[in-house]
Amino acid sequence: MNSPLRTRRAEWLVTAPSFLWLALFFAVPAVIVLAFTFHGHDISGGVGEWSLSTWRELVDPDYPTIIWNTIRISVEVTIWSIVLAVPCAYAIARMNSRWRAIVAGSIMLPFWTSFVVRVFAWKTMLHPDGWLQACYNFLSLSGEHSTILDSETAVVLVSVYSFLPFAIMPIYTAAEKFDFSLLEAARDLGAKNFYAFRKIFLPGIRQGLVSAVLMVFIPAIGSYVIPQMLGGTNCVLIGNKIFMRAIQNRNIPHASALATVMAVSVLIPIGLSMWWKKRQDMRDRQRLEAQTARLFTAGEGAAK
Amino acid sequence: MSNEFLVFDHVTKRFGALTAVNDVSFSVNKGEFFSLLGPSGCGKTTLLRMLGGFEKPDSGRIFLEGKDITDLAPNERRVHTVFQNYALFPTMTIWDNIAFSLRLAKLPKKEIEEKVDAILDMIQMSEHAWKYPNQLSGGQKQRVAIARALVDRPKVLLLDEPLAALDLKLRQHMLLELDTIHDQVGITFMYVTHDQGEAMSLSDRIAVINRGTIEQLDGPAKIYEAPSSRFVASFIGDTNFFSGEIVATEGDYCTIRPVGFPDIRAYNDKQLKVGQKVDLSVRPEKIRVTLAPPPPEKGASINVYPSTVQDIVYQGVYTKYWIKSSDFRIAALKPHSRFLLDQEPITWNDEVFVWWHPDDGYMVEAKQ
Amino acid sequence: MKRSMVSVMILAAVLAFLYVPIILVVVYGFVPNGISMSFFGSDGSFLGFTGKWYKYIFTGHQSVRSLLESFWLSLIIAGLSTLASCAIGTTSALALHKWKDRLQSVHHALVYTPLIMPDILIGISLLMLFAACHVNCGFWTILIAHITFCVSYVAMTVLARLQDFDDRITEAAYDLGAGPWYAFFHVELPILLPGIVAGGLLAFTLSIDDVVITSFVNGAGTNTFPTYVSSMTKHSRNLPSVFALSTLMLVFTCVLVGLSKLITSKGQSKLKPKAS
Repeated sequence: MNSPLRTRRAEWLVTAPSFLWLALFFAVPAVIVLAFTFHGHDISGGVGEWSLSTWRELVDPDYPTIIWNTIRISVEVTIWSIVLAVPCAYAIARMNSRWRAIVAGSIMLPFWTSFVVRVFAWKTMLHPDGWLQACYNFLSLSGEHSTILDSETAVVLVSVYSFLPFAIMPIYTAAEKFDFSLLEAARDLGAKNFYAFRKIFLPGIRQGLVSAVLMVFIPAIGSYVIPQMLGGTNCVLIGNKIFMRAIQNRNIPHASALATVMAVSVLIPIGLSMWWKKRQDMRDRQRLEAQTARLFTAGEGAAK
Repeated sequence: MSNEFLVFDHVTKRFGALTAVNDVSFSVNKGEFFSLLGPSGCGKTTLLRMLGGFEKPDSGRIFLEGKDITDLAPNERRVHTVFQNYALFPTMTIWDNIAFSLRLAKLPKKEIEEKVDAILDMIQMSEHAWKYPNQLSGGQKQRVAIARALVDRPKVLLLDEPLAALDLKLRQHMLLELDTIHDQVGITFMYVTHDQGEAMSLSDRIAVINRGTIEQLDGPAKIYEAPSSRFVASFIGDTNFFSGEIVATEGDYCTIRPVGFPDIRAYNDKQLKVGQKVDLSVRPEKIRVTLAPPPPEKGASINVYPSTVQDIVYQGVYTKYWIKSSDFRIAALKPHSRFLLDQEPITWNDEVFVWWHPDDGYMVEAKQ
Repeated sequence: MKRSMVSVMILAAVLAFLYVPIILVVVYGFVPNGISMSFFGSDGSFLGFTGKWYKYIFTGHQSVRSLLESFWLSLIIAGLSTLASCAIGTTSALALHKWKDRLQSVHHALVYTPLIMPDILIGISLLMLFAACHVNCGFWTILIAHITFCVSYVAMTVLARLQDFDDRITEAAYDLGAGPWYAFFHVELPILLPGIVAGGLLAFTLSIDDVVITSFVNGAGTNTFPTYVSSMTKHSRNLPSVFALSTLMLVFTCVLVGLSKLITSKGQSKLKPKAS
């Protein structure tokens, strides 16, 4: 096109605001964090000389336990969220459009209350003298009356509570596009309900499942507020440790190193999901090409 | 060259390895309804987009009223486009859509109102003026798109497959309407289509385009009756081809000997000589199919071939016959009024006679 | 069908699970005893509901002064970062949509990565930047941080809207004589506006709710509503005021959303195409 907006200079002009802003306040800080991990720290709270001491210290104290706990809890939270989200999304997608809008809306409605306030409400509810603790005591017949508050259970429970809508929404979006007559077709061909659900529905919404997993796993790994308010000293995750090291102990290199570990543990599943999607796309394309080729040869055969 | 209204002068446009338009030159008269007709991907839309200013030719120039407009931006040329999907501004009312170019031209408010109201009246959309595009039907959107492009009286109106999105009935209606609008406004129309029916019924002249070049530029009747190439003959309507060598000439007529078919007599308008190879095109509607042999005629003796009916396709207005004659499968059309005149209806596997007058065949290509 | 019955029951349970804390927030905004957070006296008698926390909020009682201050700060920061991120995010989406070259693939990575990084990483890395540049943390650092994470959300929302955008419409504007600026402001921008508004709403929600990033870059003494609330880790006397304020916000947003739904549905019924 001849329009002046398509020239190189115009491109720079339109790109510059976001590009420069994010370069300055996202890319540059990331590089700084990475650089700090290769420094030692000095006692005054500053950054010391170039050294590998930070990485060496990271292996030694309680860090590996914390990292492992964070990943384990995040996986637990993700599994719970997906297991609950799939039937919810399925149920919403099968409703008529009016109910769909209402229910999908009411799933997002809790978000109009401040996240911190909601976590605080949980804290109030989980109070050792509260009714939830009483129910819990009643249900745990073993007689071991541990408190929920300040435990891993509380962190998992409230994390699932907080991230569940993020799991339901992408699965629901995928399920909404799913052609439910396929399930009927499968049943028509003799498949049992659950078999059809597993073999037709779940693969049909796989894209939604992948984004749901990421939507839960990423904030769970980076979780800070929930363990801070509900985990007490029994459930300290990487996020809390980063905050502690950065703000309280002023050990900037350690905080940076922990942040780097966190970034890596987020990038790995994302990388995997991208690789998986690419592979799926390639397979689909190959299958399509093979089919087209077969069609063509069949067509030629018929013509002769 | 510059005294002509609109001129494409050796225009070439490439997209990567693909040459969309290959050294095309032609000119359009003022007030003409000019069509670019061709299969999809032939380069007709690229030609139109270069005239609109949305693409720049790699070489060659485009002149409008003697002025070189090749390098002008779309907003700098008095050429407006009616887009295939109408491209109406969804956030504006019909009235505002039409007033768009007038407001840009900073006309006085009163003049804008007069012009918009007048054109709304012309397209009979006055009562819809304050609706939004998504409240209109396809045909109405189409009329608004045309009105929007016409209201400031451009030098040329470009129409890019404007009827493609409409259903058959509406398309036929809009064809008549387009014709009326063209007569009323007297602006040059440049019409791109792949539908030969549209091009035939509207155009003063048609450029048949194939693979980036113009195959033939003529009036509709000439293009149909005297196609310049095998491509034109087969793209515009149905036809039967007989490829062969001229074995004899006598006056204005000659005899062609195709491979796998008896000799055919044809009108030799190109004055070809014995030994030359030709493609003879005979349109299906010019071929008669009868159970009885044709009556003997005077003058040049007609072509008659005993044959067998293979397939019959009823098409409402016509019935189409596929007839096996020697090694050929010939298509012939028969209107039903004549069908009634036949003593016996023709049916599958009947032994029939196909026949046509030598004047009804047309030699399209002389291969050396 | 049996299968759907099971899923509907799970859905009902999940909805209950999601709403329990909300109900609690509303109810505890009326709790008489702010320390024990109980409706019952020490002798087990029911003390009833009280509206005093609401009265504190509306009269600006000194016990809720810093809470209200933090709330106003949150509103200001959310408003400003929404405006800024809408502007930057829209240009970003336009660039990503119009051009497809190396610059844009780098640009896309820059815009996309903040979305997949946990908040805390954006917080800590900005803290490092500000520390390295010896910037004192406060209002401006919070604002910068909020704009940074909002830009990506706005850009992606607008980009999604641009994907449905028919480029022929812009061409039609040029064709009818419009220059690029006129075409942008009179044709493209009005079409993109719903996308920008949606992105802006998202940005506002994220900004007003953010606690993690803010707690890294707020410095001493500057508190937004979420950081103020989270700083009350022990039960404080003000908790019922927090709940009361949250209830007010919830009611306010519900009314706002309800109104906008009403307006759009009316607008839509007006826009519904007549039988053609």
